[in-house]
Amino acid sequence: MRAIRLTRIYDHPREDVWAAIADSQALAAWLMPNDFQPVLGHGFTFRTKPAPGFDGIVHAKVLEIVPPERLVLSWKGGPLDTTVTFDLTALSATRTRLTLVHDGFRGLSNLMPRFFLGLGWRDLTGRKLPDYIARAKSG
Amino acid sequence: MGYVANDQDAFRAIADPNRRKMLDAMMAGEQTVGQLTALLGVRQPTVSQHLRVLRLAGLVGERREGRNCFYSTNPSELAEVAAWLAKYRAFWNDRLDALAVHLKRKESRGV
Repeated sequence: MRAIRLTRIYDHPREDVWAAIADSQALAAWLMPNDFQPVLGHGFTFRTKPAPGFDGIVHAKVLEIVPPERLVLSWKGGPLDTTVTFDLTALSATRTRLTLVHDGFRGLSNLMPRFFLGLGWRDLTGRKLPDYIARAKSG
Repeated sequence: MGYVANDQDAFRAIADPNRRKMLDAMMAGEQTVGQLTALLGVRQPTVSQHLRVLRLAGLVGERREGRNCFYSTNPSELAEVAAWLAKYRAFWNDRLDALAVHLKRKESRGV
């Protein structure tokens, strides 16, 4: 399996659910502190507690925004380069189905080159990569 | 070429352009020593030495099948991807619950 797919039904109008996923303050309330703006192409970050192998910063970008239906974000955190899609379907005037798809988890063949490119072959400090490998070994 | 002193020293393992070429090939799929030798156009013992350095650095694993040995980038990496998937699944379940709480709170405030 290379993607996470979750579905929830909320007893709220679609516009209200949209307001909760396409607004910086609302996202901070239920997801993570961020500097999101509902603007196509806007690059921003989510910040959370650092963990081993993860500095706690998710670099994101608005890839698609169709109010009040669909929000697609690029989601880069740790060694991962993924996308997160929120799809909202109005089931009635007061019920909304949210489908969340977190996609782009791939095996080594895709992960490693990106990781190396990100660091740059020349810029490897001799610390980052061994840490990364130690983590992979313990994983 | 020189050996790496420390088996964690992946940085030095990949400092060599031939080893990077080998890694790139192994990322695309399993390789035999013969294939890597053809790729680099160097002598087989040189390839074997490079493989040794990469294996000591934890970057490459080997799989034996009969008399053949196949080399690939380390499969533990795949385990790491699986771990990220599990972590994120738990994360999103938790966050989507938090979204429900957020929506209720907004509603009760009549916002």
